Amino acid sequence: MEEQKNQATTEQAEKQITLTDRVVVYLICAMILCFGIAFFVTPKKEFSESENRTLAKAPEFTFENVKSGRFMDGIGTYTADHFPMRDRFLSIMTETERLSGRKEINGVYLAQDGSLIEVYDAPVNTQKQIAQFTKLAENVENADCYLMLVPTAVSIYADKLPENAPDAEAQQFEGMRTAFPIKGISRLTQNKVICQIYAAMPKKMHTIYVTDLLHADAQWTLQAGGENAAARRLYYRTDHHWTTYGAYVGYQEFCMAAGFEPVALTDYTAEVVSEDFRGTIYSKLNDPYFGTDTIISYSDPDWKLTVEYSDTKEVTDTIYNPEYLSRKDQYSYFLNNIHPMVTITNDAVSDGAIAVVKDSYANCFVPFLLNHYHTVYVFDTRYYKGGPSKFINEHPEITDVLILYNMNTIDNDTGIGGIY
Amino acid sequence: MVFSSVPFLFFFLPAFLILYYLFPGRAKNYVLLVFSLVFYAWGEPVYILLMLLSSFVDYLDGLLQEKFGTTLLRKRIFLAIALIINFSLLAYFKYADFAVGIFNRVSPWTATLPGVALPVGISFYTFQTVSYSIDVYKGRVKVEHNYLSYLTYVSMFPQLIAGPIVRFSTVQEELHKREVNESGFVRGMKRFLPGLLRKVLIANQIGALWDTIRVADDISIVTAWLGLLCFTLQLYYDFSAYSDMAIGLGWMLGFHFPENFIYPLSATSVTDFWHRWHISLSTWFRDYVYIPLGGNRVGVAKHLRNMFAVWFLTGLWHGASWNFVLWGLYHGILLTLEKYVWGKGLAKLPKFLQHLYAIVIVVFGFGIFTFDDLGEMKQYFVQLIGLPGNAFLGREFGWYAGNYLPFLLTAIVLAFPVYPWFQKKLAGANAYRRNLYTTCGALLLIALFMVAVASLVRDTYNPFLYFRF
Repeated sequence: MEEQKNQATTEQAEKQITLTDRVVVYLICAMILCFGIAFFVTPKKEFSESENRTLAKAPEFTFENVKSGRFMDGIGTYTADHFPMRDRFLSIMTETERLSGRKEINGVYLAQDGSLIEVYDAPVNTQKQIAQFTKLAENVENADCYLMLVPTAVSIYADKLPENAPDAEAQQFEGMRTAFPIKGISRLTQNKVICQIYAAMPKKMHTIYVTDLLHADAQWTLQAGGENAAARRLYYRTDHHWTTYGAYVGYQEFCMAAGFEPVALTDYTAEVVSEDFRGTIYSKLNDPYFGTDTIISYSDPDWKLTVEYSDTKEVTDTIYNPEYLSRKDQYSYFLNNIHPMVTITNDAVSDGAIAVVKDSYANCFVPFLLNHYHTVYVFDTRYYKGGPSKFINEHPEITDVLILYNMNTIDNDTGIGGIY
Repeated sequence: MVFSSVPFLFFFLPAFLILYYLFPGRAKNYVLLVFSLVFYAWGEPVYILLMLLSSFVDYLDGLLQEKFGTTLLRKRIFLAIALIINFSLLAYFKYADFAVGIFNRVSPWTATLPGVALPVGISFYTFQTVSYSIDVYKGRVKVEHNYLSYLTYVSMFPQLIAGPIVRFSTVQEELHKREVNESGFVRGMKRFLPGLLRKVLIANQIGALWDTIRVADDISIVTAWLGLLCFTLQLYYDFSAYSDMAIGLGWMLGFHFPENFIYPLSATSVTDFWHRWHISLSTWFRDYVYIPLGGNRVGVAKHLRNMFAVWFLTGLWHGASWNFVLWGLYHGILLTLEKYVWGKGLAKLPKFLQHLYAIVIVVFGFGIFTFDDLGEMKQYFVQLIGLPGNAFLGREFGWYAGNYLPFLLTAIVLAFPVYPWFQKKLAGANAYRRNLYTTCGALLLIALFMVAVASLVRDTYNPFLYFRF
């Protein structure tokens, strides 16, 4: 009885329709219709540049697909992926969450200095990496092997993480004994994982510990402040890579291990090649609020380069490809994006050869090696099938092998399997 | 299909409404039927046959009772057959694994689990269609002769898969003759849209926080309670938003479904809570189990038995798992205690304490409800009282609360009847103020709708919790 009365009263209230109600309802109906129609008439993209991913394809209408429900699920993702003004809607959502005080959106911390830092997921493949690196060191017969694992921004810029962030890195910085653990987010700092891997390496493998120098440089920049701070960023604000400057710091550490005198940064010609770079972390949020990055490119006027790409058989005289600067993935400017194997010879240097086994972190690092070796062989093991050790053994001029990975993608990129 | 999804909102609903309004009189039912079947088949392309079978059994049963049910015994037999068929289907498709699991544990033999997937909404439509057979038997409803009309009732997409549990008697008249007009459409949309926002912008957001807290270990006492509060809020907004959307869609089509939630989290006692939470289910059990057993007009012993039966079944209805049974009995015991022990005393307490009493019991209860693994439940529950020596507040509380504060506050405030209160205030205000507030409200609704669409576009996957039941 009471419920009926309640129902009657609520309905009574709902019955009073005002002009405003009508306007709102019909406006929203018009919006629904417009978006529905726009979906059909707008052209469909295969790839989203801003999100940096392939969009869903329309599911096939077959009996099997309908019976299993795959067709219906496919329609769901297809309509969402190709929704009119999708990019705009993504920024609306990010903005709403940002304005509501969210400090972590979609696996990205909104750092205190306004930059974007990727969450470090709990590593699950550490043992596999140890096995792969060991195998490579053992298989290489006549060259020195160097291993450099580079921590990412979440580790080096831990002091910039939002307050109370559930990352072991932030906890360590804040002097807490234990991290409060959230599944998925690592309870270990990247540094601990690096040490764990290094400790398990065979004697043959020279490990290059770059964390301290990066840390020291970050602290130095912080203390010095001023206008240098932007130029001395070690990691991009909106991308998961280290900057060219960060790579230079890594290069200094490599020189120490390999026994070279590093070439001073001032000896290179620095050039700002882009000021509107929006990187991969930006793509996860897709919100212009987070701004852009500057890309600096270093080159030596004395270089006499021949660059050969094994997959396309293309030969050029530069390791940089400015075409990418007008596209979304501007970082591909370095080493012309991803290739299974690239051979770079510098005729300004008479001898020496190094093989670099790496992920994309090395793309802006490799240029610094050119003044020390006549030939640099670059292997991207995610795409180079067959294992580089065979190639290295067949080329006795190779004296050094550098393995260079960053701590984030090394664990979630399965391509590491092809390393040996 | 899910209401809060791009395919439903932008393609299914507009296409359906346009055709529904274009077709004249009786043909509207056929449009509704066809779209309802597509709607159900979208989520359950195979099990739709089960729904057709289940509804046909009761339709036929109505006819048989009318034609051959000349004696009470015959009618009883017909009713019994319908009940046996329906509940056997429900038992097999929902409880087979559970039953075999128990069998394996208590008996020396081991049977293989049948591994049946639960058909979406089976608990809801079984209860609807069974209520028809019982009502025919009791003479509470006229026998329906048109199968398509009956099927339209069972399969009607607004309320098919997650309630409210609409009885045939509620809609029979409207099924044949109802008023479909423009003001009904506007009113329905005005009910549907806030439902959509509550689901997408509150339930999904709070649910994301709960998902994080649920899997974290070593959380502080306060965080553990915050987690359960989040689950309670998520469940309430998820489920009541579904009912809001269902009722709103009903109004657009000219149907009037019963209200299912009346601010349950603002209850002052457990008894009060059950007058406000999932009303269509609790009244179903009241009318078809509790009262036929004698209700409370029997001796204390029998009344206790009746309470036990109703709350055991209410728990079990929610899922084939002990935690649901436990949850049902937990509420049954508290209701009994309120009736026989402290109900009167409770009513004399300050209102604030009554609210606190009810919400703590409800939130704790949903803790039982949410963990279908008893081991996990224990692991979580010891943290509620700090047994593993976990911190009281903990730094993570600052992180969680900070990240979700506006959503949490909105969810808590809107769980109380502030909107009706505001409406009443507004009615007494002067014209200028009224216009100002309604205009602001209108703009807010449009803006929030855009955000809701953004959320749908970004997070493709957002199922309703009650689909599982």
